[in-house]
Amino acid sequence: MKLSLNWIKKYIDLPKDITPSQIAYDLTLRTVEVEGVENTKDKFHDIVVGKILEVKDHPNADTLKVCIVDIGEDTPKQIVCGGSNLYKDELVVVSKPGSEVYWHGEDQLVKIKETKMRGEDSYGMICGATEVYLDKFFPPKDEREIVDLSGIDCKVGDNIADVVFMDDTVLEIDNKSLTNRPDLWGHYGVARELSAIYNVPLKELPKFSIDKDLPKYKVEIKEPEKCNRYTATEIEGIDTREAPLWMKALIINAGMRPINAIVDITNYVMMAVGQPSHAFDRTHVEGEQIIVRNAKKNEKLLLLDEKDLDLTVDDLVIADKESALCLAGVRGGKKDSILPDTTGVLLEVANFTASTIRKTDKRFDEKTDSAIRYEKAIDTERVQEGLEYALYLIKEIFKDSKIIAFNDVYPIKTERCKIDIEQDFLDVRLGKVLDRKTIEGVLKAIGYDVNYKSGVYHVTAPVWRSTGDVSLKDDVMGDIARLLSFESFEAKPLPVKFTKAVKQNKVSLERNIREYLAFRCGFNEIFTYPWIDDKYIKASKIDISKSVKLATPPAPELAILRSSLVPGALEVISKNLRYYNEFRIFEVAQVFEKGEYHESSEDETLPIHKKLITGAIVGKNAKDLFFEAKGVIEDMASFNHMEELHFEVKSQPSWADKNAYLNIMLGDEEIGALGLLSYFAMSEAKIKRVNVAIFEINFDKLVPFASRTNEFVHLPQFPLVEKDLSIIVDEDVTWDKISKVIKSKVKNLEFIEEYRGNQIPEGKKSITLRIHIGNDDSTMTSDEINKKMSSLMNSLNHVCGAELREE
Amino acid sequence: MKEKLTEIKKDGLEKIEKSQSMDELQEVRKELMGKKSGLSEILKSMSSLSVDEKKEIGMKTTEIREEFTKKIEEKEAEIISNKSVLSEPIDISLPGKKVSGGALHPITQMCYDLNEAFLSLGFEVYSEDDISSEKYAFDNLNFAKDHPARQSMDTFWLEGTEDKEGTERLCLRPHLTGGSVRKLLKDGAPARFVYPGRVYRNETTDARHERAFFQYEALIVDKDISFSSGMVMIKTILEKVFGREINVRMREGFFPFTEPGYEIDMECLVCGGKGCKVCNHNGWIEVMPGGVIHPNVLKAANLDPNVWTGFYINIGLDRLVMMRYGVDDVRLFHSGDLRFLKQFK
Repeated sequence: MKLSLNWIKKYIDLPKDITPSQIAYDLTLRTVEVEGVENTKDKFHDIVVGKILEVKDHPNADTLKVCIVDIGEDTPKQIVCGGSNLYKDELVVVSKPGSEVYWHGEDQLVKIKETKMRGEDSYGMICGATEVYLDKFFPPKDEREIVDLSGIDCKVGDNIADVVFMDDTVLEIDNKSLTNRPDLWGHYGVARELSAIYNVPLKELPKFSIDKDLPKYKVEIKEPEKCNRYTATEIEGIDTREAPLWMKALIINAGMRPINAIVDITNYVMMAVGQPSHAFDRTHVEGEQIIVRNAKKNEKLLLLDEKDLDLTVDDLVIADKESALCLAGVRGGKKDSILPDTTGVLLEVANFTASTIRKTDKRFDEKTDSAIRYEKAIDTERVQEGLEYALYLIKEIFKDSKIIAFNDVYPIKTERCKIDIEQDFLDVRLGKVLDRKTIEGVLKAIGYDVNYKSGVYHVTAPVWRSTGDVSLKDDVMGDIARLLSFESFEAKPLPVKFTKAVKQNKVSLERNIREYLAFRCGFNEIFTYPWIDDKYIKASKIDISKSVKLATPPAPELAILRSSLVPGALEVISKNLRYYNEFRIFEVAQVFEKGEYHESSEDETLPIHKKLITGAIVGKNAKDLFFEAKGVIEDMASFNHMEELHFEVKSQPSWADKNAYLNIMLGDEEIGALGLLSYFAMSEAKIKRVNVAIFEINFDKLVPFASRTNEFVHLPQFPLVEKDLSIIVDEDVTWDKISKVIKSKVKNLEFIEEYRGNQIPEGKKSITLRIHIGNDDSTMTSDEINKKMSSLMNSLNHVCGAELREE
Repeated sequence: MKEKLTEIKKDGLEKIEKSQSMDELQEVRKELMGKKSGLSEILKSMSSLSVDEKKEIGMKTTEIREEFTKKIEEKEAEIISNKSVLSEPIDISLPGKKVSGGALHPITQMCYDLNEAFLSLGFEVYSEDDISSEKYAFDNLNFAKDHPARQSMDTFWLEGTEDKEGTERLCLRPHLTGGSVRKLLKDGAPARFVYPGRVYRNETTDARHERAFFQYEALIVDKDISFSSGMVMIKTILEKVFGREINVRMREGFFPFTEPGYEIDMECLVCGGKGCKVCNHNGWIEVMPGGVIHPNVLKAANLDPNVWTGFYINIGLDRLVMMRYGVDDVRLFHSGDLRFLKQFK
């Protein structure tokens, strides 16, 4: 919303010497956020009124004229101009050298210079309306028309801004900061706030009171819950003359476009007091009767652009005897519009309830200024204010107009809200003791009635704040705090009560694991969206029968919410392959599937949530990647102080290679999986020239230890002997099998490498392992060592068919 | 013969001095003190001399030997202390080997920084699920029935529930605040906790707008606390993020779940509050909303608003991270682009 300071000044006298930026600051801190301050005069510098003394033909151009113009300087100036309506003694707009204008057809401002046009000297430019920001004041009839100021109160040399009342300052208000304040959607409401902030009186609105003995215009409200008040005033002697320049200027500075005086008056009143109103051509209302009713089934409304709008039975319409004239408070219809032959109007100033307007307005992309205001819930008393202000302006502009009929149907009245507030409540919650005079002063300045009795303020909120905005004592406290400015309250330390230290093992575990993956294992943490591209769901063959979907997804292919983090990882991998061919990524996030789960109360059933940790290692050698990923999971428990994980082969994850996957187990429960990404998944996800190992674990299942559980083992008193052993076994003999044979017989067992190739027979492989052996009570002799080694070899040979590999 | 000895001594000491390596020194030792050395030759040729001469020459020879031994030892010590472990030249201007390691997401980092600050003030860390019902996302928080935020243009409703109401209408949570009621219902008051998390809005994205973004909310519920204590929480956050005390101001703001509500601005760090392009020439930058918990929200959490009060602050983590590092496109956070993420080691 835009606020004109000239307009505000009609209602209050601002303190002398106060700057617009100070006003913006004070409003921002106490009332609404001011996003910008614009001086509307600046752009008119060096643009003045000129009088054409002489119009001559241009010697070298048929379409140009050479004018001699008096611009209030020592000598008249010669200006070349292509205008279509130049004549002697015409008052025109002249842009002097140094001014900035929109050259026809150009988007950007051009600086005017003294120049020659087709050989003739030209001092500046005689301007058309669009060239000098005046098109809203003087809509041009054709492209070459220049602004003719004849008949307008001005003299040669005057700055144009002064002629058209543009010596103003406009404050740009953030509409979001106004949503709860129906009273601030007009200049008068903001003036009231400023009167409280600067302690200056708020002037009464000008008004014209209606004669109560006028004939009644027939009005019927069929839906009083939706329309709480409707006034209809029939006025003769109205035409489509233009509004006076001062009014046009204010309307333009408040962000609207002047149309004609009668329409401008309705807009002006809306932007003054926040009360929308509407003028119908009175001859278009069939049967001299207004009916406020719900739309009928299959009823249509013909709009201004000739399109038929389908109405629903929820829509409230203003109708005559025959048909709907307009959507109440939202949009006019073709039938109700003011036309060049209009001679009289029916002025509607009415109250429609917020929910009615919101329901109807939902279907339109753009909200009308009227709908925006009704949506905020306007009190019914405002109708009176708006009506009397509008009639005053009509009488001012249409001196010969006459009110011939009137009605005010007022079924439901906004009641002022009454609230009791204890002084103690204010003292504690404000954190500062304020005296009675201060509190009463602040509240009265913005329209509260206050009555103090034995420690309690009995307040009555102003009617314009009583439609929902103010209903609790906290609301009143808020008004006191903001108007005194939050700045006047010191930051108070928090009261501390020591009970016990915060200890949240699961919260810490999550952080530990993230840091373990990032800092120790070299993974980069990623975030992906919960809605997943179909393509990657298909690639990872995720079952979507239990998936949760969005009703209005960001894009059609993004409707499914993730039940695994793998598809998202695939997308990230495929994108990063443009720049990297070796990397590690992980994500921790919630996934969803259909099911029943009650987080807070039995009546609320939510889908199942799981928090997953998913990691991927991308590189060349598939086997290496697999074991790197396996290592990350194997060491996760000991590095992060949680219950041990182990592996089993139970069920193949949908995205995994059939030969290379493991299920991750906690006790007997399967809580995740790791494996190589399948060939299918890679080709579907366009992951080329690399391999990927992936793991996914359900974080919710992990069990953190309450404290560290490391156990101290005595250091060996006698030296251990280290021996490397290379054996040859059949392909199907697993490390699991080999280690089971030896593990209990040695102090320590380590896998060194696996080898196939030269010197190893087909169908066999060589395994190198490293062992540490030793006695607890003595140093091993070489005899003992040899005996131990051959006994180990015997066992290996016996159980695994292992042979010693000859060097 | 004496002259010869003098020559051997002079020559020998020179050779020792010139030696560069242990090998060379070994050679010199052999040459000077071995069986074929000049000294040995002299001792062998002494038979023709008188007893006195023998004695004199013998002593001299021994003296020289001792001197040689001493000098060789000294030289040895010198060579060892000057010896390099390298056998070949080294270009020490070559780059060092990279330390390998990944990184936490910059938003996670910010979140953990803030957690640390709040843990030190005795706050708990709470988290709530991503999907919520309308009751917890809107009704409990005092949003009007027809509040525009409830429309599908603003909120991601789940398929099949979008036309229902209250506990049956489900959505990806549009803000974290709903979680506060869940936590209070579970654990009651007094309470002080923070809850970081991702929230979702159905909007058009651009460099400043995202459909999924992170919020960090802090909440206190207690008896007899004043709204101005909220300043302490705000200062805590900003000091943690920017490493020094930051000037802040509170001003009027409106949110359905607060009364009074306020917007919190911090002094622009680029111009120090003087006014510049970054702060739109007013010296302040809006960083977060906050406010006293609305009585209706306390009621939804089964708490008596006449007994309990409290306040929220809610900070947009994305925005804060953008300010911390000068990131100019919010969409990078969910891009998974390692060229971006690797910058935050």
